[in-house]
Amino acid sequence: MTGSLLRVSDLTATVTTRREVIQAVRGISFDINADEAVGFVGESGCGKSVTAKALMRLAPEGASIGLGGSVAFWGQELLGLGEDEMRDLRGRRIAMVFQDPMTSLNPVMSIGAQMSDMLRRHLGLSAKAARERSVELLDLVGIPDPARRVDDFPHQFSGGQRQRVMIAIAISCEPDLLIADEPTTALDVTVQAQILRLLLRLREERGMALMLITHDFGVVAGMVDRVNVMYRGEIVEAGPVDDVFARPQHAYTRALLDAVPRLQGAGAVR
Amino acid sequence: MQDSAPVVAARKGAGITQGWLLLGVGLAMLAAMLVLTIFAPLVAPYDPSVTSPDSLAPASAAHWLGTDSIGRDVLSRLIVGGRTTLLITVSAVLIALVAGLILGLAAGYLGGRTDEIIMRLLDVVFAFPVLLLAIAVVAALGPSVPNLILTIAIVYTPAMARVVRAPVLSVKQWDHVEAARSVGMSEMRLVLRHILPIVVSPILVATSLTLSQTIFTVTALSFLGLGPPPPDPNWGGMLSEARQFMELAPLTVVGPALAIVFATLTFIIIANGLREVLDVGSVR
Amino acid sequence: MTRFVLGRLAWMAAILLGVSFVAFMLMRAIPGDFAIAAAGSQSVAPEVLATIRRDLGLDQPLMAQYLSWLGAALTGDFGKSFVTRQPVLGELLNRLIVTIQLTLLAAVIAAVMGVASGLAAARLRGATDWLVRLWNGLMLAVPNYVVATLIVLLFGLYFPEITVLGYTPFLESPLGNLASLLLPAIALALAVSVTIAENTRAAVLEVANQDFVMVARAKGLTPAAILRDYLMRNALTPVITAAGLKIAALLGGSILVETIFAIPGMGQYLFDSINSRDYPVIQAIVLVAAGIVVLVNTMIDIAYARVDARVQM
Repeated sequence: MTGSLLRVSDLTATVTTRREVIQAVRGISFDINADEAVGFVGESGCGKSVTAKALMRLAPEGASIGLGGSVAFWGQELLGLGEDEMRDLRGRRIAMVFQDPMTSLNPVMSIGAQMSDMLRRHLGLSAKAARERSVELLDLVGIPDPARRVDDFPHQFSGGQRQRVMIAIAISCEPDLLIADEPTTALDVTVQAQILRLLLRLREERGMALMLITHDFGVVAGMVDRVNVMYRGEIVEAGPVDDVFARPQHAYTRALLDAVPRLQGAGAVR
Repeated sequence: MQDSAPVVAARKGAGITQGWLLLGVGLAMLAAMLVLTIFAPLVAPYDPSVTSPDSLAPASAAHWLGTDSIGRDVLSRLIVGGRTTLLITVSAVLIALVAGLILGLAAGYLGGRTDEIIMRLLDVVFAFPVLLLAIAVVAALGPSVPNLILTIAIVYTPAMARVVRAPVLSVKQWDHVEAARSVGMSEMRLVLRHILPIVVSPILVATSLTLSQTIFTVTALSFLGLGPPPPDPNWGGMLSEARQFMELAPLTVVGPALAIVFATLTFIIIANGLREVLDVGSVR
Repeated sequence: MTRFVLGRLAWMAAILLGVSFVAFMLMRAIPGDFAIAAAGSQSVAPEVLATIRRDLGLDQPLMAQYLSWLGAALTGDFGKSFVTRQPVLGELLNRLIVTIQLTLLAAVIAAVMGVASGLAAARLRGATDWLVRLWNGLMLAVPNYVVATLIVLLFGLYFPEITVLGYTPFLESPLGNLASLLLPAIALALAVSVTIAENTRAAVLEVANQDFVMVARAKGLTPAAILRDYLMRNALTPVITAAGLKIAALLGGSILVETIFAIPGMGQYLFDSINSRDYPVIQAIVLVAAGIVVLVNTMIDIAYARVDARVQM
């Protein structure tokens, strides 16, 4: 399946909290094709995370978010969609992996219960079928002894394992687009590479599009086809990842590239 | 890394202004109450103890809140009764505050054995429901204004000591305390100059909260017949006396009830205002 | 875990010992002669007083008196009432049952009201939040005995045909029992429900800020499912703890509310005993009530530690 999965034009996002109003995204446009992996790189606060949440129409808790422009998903305009329809889409068609696996799981529910609730909601599975599917998914993301661990609670898993669980949850309903928002930032370096390899493998096996958000150019290298560099709510540079690496046009991109340790080089997932 | 997203507009710091507003309202209410009660004999239209044949009268120009079952002016009794009630409340809390300061500072600052012994002993007092302990103590000592003050002070001292101790414990670790000690500042000066100011904010908040709870305890004791002996009026006692005839003269009940609520509310508002202005987290 | 539980239990025993000592000493601190108080009259022949002293063991050293009193209390012997000359225990148990009924009913009402309003305030925010907080702020300032008195007053004025005072035993009429306790329980529950509401509101707001709630939304779960499985299950543990600690406030409050509504519970018993200077009864009630509070608090501590060990936020 090819063609434009997601077409974002002139997207603006204004986040209103109790204390301030922030224009977090200031008119950005980009496409993501089905089967394509696109990286979004920028320092924290550049609007990349808000962009990801905007695509799913999620406002940060305690804040409201005002969106402008257009987000077309398979040609359907998401910004005008009702909340119920949007909810059917979240997790089912567009899924998300968050930054911190330590806080992303509900501490008082078993892993299996947190996987099943989504499977039952979107796919209408029975409790038994959802549980079986959860075990399969845990196996798929490389959790050992999944039939036993499915009833364990989050605190019984390590950080890397928790991120695997989060990925299992995200892909459980076979979404068309997986958004990974800094999926490795909170993890140890060795574990980072494992998680990235897992994402890469799952993407190839399942043929879903990937939107990889990170502050670290080292992470997008070898993971994505194209990259967008964001700065102060705008996309300042875009292009095939190798081009951007080889010939950065924008001063900000160069600064970000300089922050990557040299010996990693380009084009290699460690 | 810094948040580089452009901030379009900073919204008003709602916390600060709201805090000052609360504090202002609370202090105004307190001032009104204090003026009324301090000058009670001048303000009260009648002698609160003088009876008249005109009993259980409804509100009128002569008696704004009517009269009670033996013809005493309810408004005058409220004003003079407020004097007794507030006198007991404020002096008891002040004593509890001083005792709590001494115990809390000693426990927190000296630490170790002393801390252990002081806090464990206070835990025993803390184990009693406040009102129950107060009742037991007053029942043992006998109801009188000094005994009531003493009782309430005893009952609230552990809570005060806890409020003082917690920040002292954390402040003690601070570098500048170490620094001051290393340049040979005396222990006494150390406590006064560096430790006391840090613990003051939570204490202020806790004190005004305790004042509101004390109003409750004092009036409840009086309501149970353990208040200052008659004929001097006090709010709890008035409420209790009025219950017998309240269907005939609802104002005799509503008057003291409102006074109690007003006083309690005053201290709660001040506590909340202080909490926001001083930016103290939730106490207790 | 076992060590923790044993530690808590040992600590509880130590506190109870301290509590019993305070309860004992308070009643020995009464002004005047305890024997005269026991005789119930000032004009008693010296020989009679001597007999009373010997009977009550007042001629023994203070510590010996305390230990023998404590030993008796542990076996349920709280001595004899100065007024009825009957053992305190029997009457105390009758009263205790009534008070426990009232307290439990009040606890249920407070929990339901508190959790519901706190939840509504935290989730709906806006005007609802504002109203709930205003109500909470006001109710915090209205003592339970004022509420109780005003309820009695209002029913007396507007519904004189309804009996609000008095108590119907459960065995006589279960429904009548509930009806007779309902208004007192509401009066008792209001102040506590305010605390529970504030706690619930704060806990829900805090949980709502957690990442896993955002994850739940990104999973496309319905608001009802998020509320039930993600918000409430996490918010309720601290709320239940805080609510449990309010048992002391309910027991204390029942003294006043029972007196006002003429409910023959422990509170009213205490009130009557204070007026008749029936010191053994006062002593027993103080000991039993404080004991219950210490017991409940220890149980909450242990239960909370168990939940914590499983969850480890």
